[in-house]
Amino acid sequence: MTSPIVRFDPHPMVNGPLTTFNQVRPKILTDVVQRTMQDLSQIPSESLLSEALFLERMRMKRLRANLFTMPRKRRDQKLWGRVQSGIVRSAAEVDRKRMLEGVVGHLADEIGGHFNPKIYSFATAALPYGFSWLLNAASVQRFLPWGMTQSLRERLRIVGNVDEIRKLSQKGTILLVPTHQSNIDSLLIGWIIHLMGLPPFAYGAGLNLFSNPFFSFFMSNLGAYTVDRQKSNTIYKHTLKNYSTRILREGVHSIFFPGGGRSRSGAIESRLKLGLLGTGLEAQIENLREGKPNPNIYIVPMVMSYNFVLEASSLIEDYLVEAGKHRFIAIDEDSLPQAKLVNFLWKLFSSQSGVTVRIGKAMDIFGNFVDENGMSIGPNGTTIDAKRWLTTRGELRPEAQRDQEFTRELGSRIVDRFHKENTVLSSHLVAFAFFETLKARYPDLDLYRFMRLTLPQRSFPFKEFLESAERYHQTVMQAADRGNLYMEDELRFAPTEKWVRDGIAQLGIFHEAGVIKIHDQSVYTEDMSLLYYYRNRLTGYGFGDEVKK
Amino acid sequence: MSHKPFWRNSKVAVIGAGSWGSVLANLAAPNCREVRLWTRSEEQARAINATRFNAQNWPEMRLHERIRAISEPERAFEGGVDVVIWALPSIAARIQAKEFAKYFHGQEILLHATKGIEAGTLKRISQILREEIPCPRVGVISGPNLAKEIARGEPAATVVASHYKEVIEAGQEILTNDRFRVYGDEDVIGVEWAGTLKNILAIASGALDGLKLGWNTRATLITRGLAEMVRFGKAMGAEEGTFLGLAGVGDLLATCSSPDSRNYRVGYGIAEGHKLEDILKNLGSTAEGVGTAETVHKFAQAKGILMPITEGVYHLIHQDLTAREVLHKLMTRPLVE
Repeated sequence: MTSPIVRFDPHPMVNGPLTTFNQVRPKILTDVVQRTMQDLSQIPSESLLSEALFLERMRMKRLRANLFTMPRKRRDQKLWGRVQSGIVRSAAEVDRKRMLEGVVGHLADEIGGHFNPKIYSFATAALPYGFSWLLNAASVQRFLPWGMTQSLRERLRIVGNVDEIRKLSQKGTILLVPTHQSNIDSLLIGWIIHLMGLPPFAYGAGLNLFSNPFFSFFMSNLGAYTVDRQKSNTIYKHTLKNYSTRILREGVHSIFFPGGGRSRSGAIESRLKLGLLGTGLEAQIENLREGKPNPNIYIVPMVMSYNFVLEASSLIEDYLVEAGKHRFIAIDEDSLPQAKLVNFLWKLFSSQSGVTVRIGKAMDIFGNFVDENGMSIGPNGTTIDAKRWLTTRGELRPEAQRDQEFTRELGSRIVDRFHKENTVLSSHLVAFAFFETLKARYPDLDLYRFMRLTLPQRSFPFKEFLESAERYHQTVMQAADRGNLYMEDELRFAPTEKWVRDGIAQLGIFHEAGVIKIHDQSVYTEDMSLLYYYRNRLTGYGFGDEVKK
Repeated sequence: MSHKPFWRNSKVAVIGAGSWGSVLANLAAPNCREVRLWTRSEEQARAINATRFNAQNWPEMRLHERIRAISEPERAFEGGVDVVIWALPSIAARIQAKEFAKYFHGQEILLHATKGIEAGTLKRISQILREEIPCPRVGVISGPNLAKEIARGEPAATVVASHYKEVIEAGQEILTNDRFRVYGDEDVIGVEWAGTLKNILAIASGALDGLKLGWNTRATLITRGLAEMVRFGKAMGAEEGTFLGLAGVGDLLATCSSPDSRNYRVGYGIAEGHKLEDILKNLGSTAEGVGTAETVHKFAQAKGILMPITEGVYHLIHQDLTAREVLHKLMTRPLVE
């Protein structure tokens, strides 16, 4: 169902802490450097620098820079060249601490985002026009049945606790944690935030997105800060963490993809990267200790559901290779070629397709639900005082082991909510039902042998498939009734053959190879990997076993 | 880095003045500022405070002067406590947890000393407490701890398991003395399941003694029983090594050898031909192993976990096979290659 509370008409930017970000940026970066130096003071600077130098050299060797990433690579090379020539000289000649401080400063500046209100206003105003244009042009071409009246509202469905997150954004700092399937996520999220009437959010975007000058310009001026997952050295990790903590403490609403990168398998994230997630807790502890007026950090899960995914093919291939042989994968910067992107958006909005975005129930930093006043709700009608939960031996303070455990618990709560806030679309269910039905015909094959079935082996009568699909539909519907996930209405109430055909058509809009095809009373797949990818969206619920019973 | 001063000055609430709860209160009392021993019965609370004895369970054990018996829960938690020791039987764990939820503030260290699981759901006590009580720092106390021997001050040791280091620290600081050692562990699942599963074997062990059998048979039971515990524990996510520790084989040996154990007495009575209801009536208290055997057997069967001894105990308590028949069945199983 479409949420009427979401405004789709152009509307002005809501002011938030990010609006004036550029004024405090230098101060924030200084704090980050100072804090990082403090964190690292226990480790000898020389060993930190040597480790980073080695890892960075390795990374740069593997990196295939393009025209736009070249300047960044050159800057990095220059920095590490200086470190190398410094480190070969004696410590008396070149002060290691100062060298380290220089490196941290460089990294903090690379990570640190900018925010330009003018560009924000322009982008949020232009983006819907861009989309509408695309949409209308596409719709005109397709004539009926949707025609020109088809509005953006029906294509981008923002549902769930929109009102709640809006209220909470006044009472504390929001940490929005979305599932991550596609690079498109990073583009849509900024806009979704704006549509919900929220002030701009800061978010950590993969460095690869900055390799495209168009996105780079917008994103780096819209509060995005860069996260380079290829940089694995200790100095970088600490700097990034401290940056994230620092802007949360500044009250800047932020977005993390807690799963790290995009889901390779197509499944909803079941393992999270806890490092960055822990910065929410860290920020709240410091806020409470300082006695800030709105100290709370609210964790809001968000699940984005696409009928088809731009990078599905390359993601699942990566996943299968990784899961199969642990083979070395060359770093692929995976930038977004504009033509491919436009093609995708065109198809996304020109079809009767769309994106469903569900804003989940907000939680506190321990994973307890919060009410709309921002109060943490415990079991059996209790309310929770975060200060008490963060008190160890009578004192409110950080405690590394405890906080790690709190973050682990929060992580598993988020994973649970991701599954429950998921909206099943017809393409997901049809892929799941088809894969499972086919798999049941070959009970003795392991996944890899199963994936290599020949084309005739991958087909069976359509009628038989409909019967099986009906059973899966029933199972998923029961799970939806129990509150284990959501089901879009079109899927829920449609007769079997209708949603099955619709799901197959959805997959067919974007993928030229038939993920599922119907021909002459039989149904088959031309691309087992893609089928597997879309099927994986419904793993983790136990649906396969349930139907078999 | 010692945090002793904090713990010496701490307030401890013990929920449940049964035999083990009273002993735990007595262990804690010398190590902290005050212990509040909660009992549902106002009469018992008054008697304890007046006489310094818990006449019902320990007529010969004097309770430490820092222990105060209380029957109103709000008074047990008044002003906030630092450590809560949960010593209630598993049967009504969830209902009682719901009742106590509102008294917790969240800074407490919650240690439970309950061996058993929730029938049907297979949830461990720490899971139930975590679900029902707004208190995240939860741990478990378990080991070869026959209350009677510890009440007499005989040397013994136990395990405190938690994901939180400060819970382990609290358990060690509050319970340790020169005759009682506390070991820390992170495998909460393993420690809780070990303490639960051994109760099934205690019934079997009692039955062997009821049949007047010797040490070879018992050693076989304990060893093969341990293998079952490990198989089941691993399926539940426990670590194998935990079963070789105090909370595993340690507790198993103590429970299977002591005629004081309630589960043992159930097995003994059944082997002698008594009816289960009569035995339970005579015991006057619960025997955790009876419910556990049923729950575990059904789950193991559904999941295909091989547990022939547990299956035997299941038949014993349902009294559809006699102890001799169960034993015969176990001994004539097809040989394992």
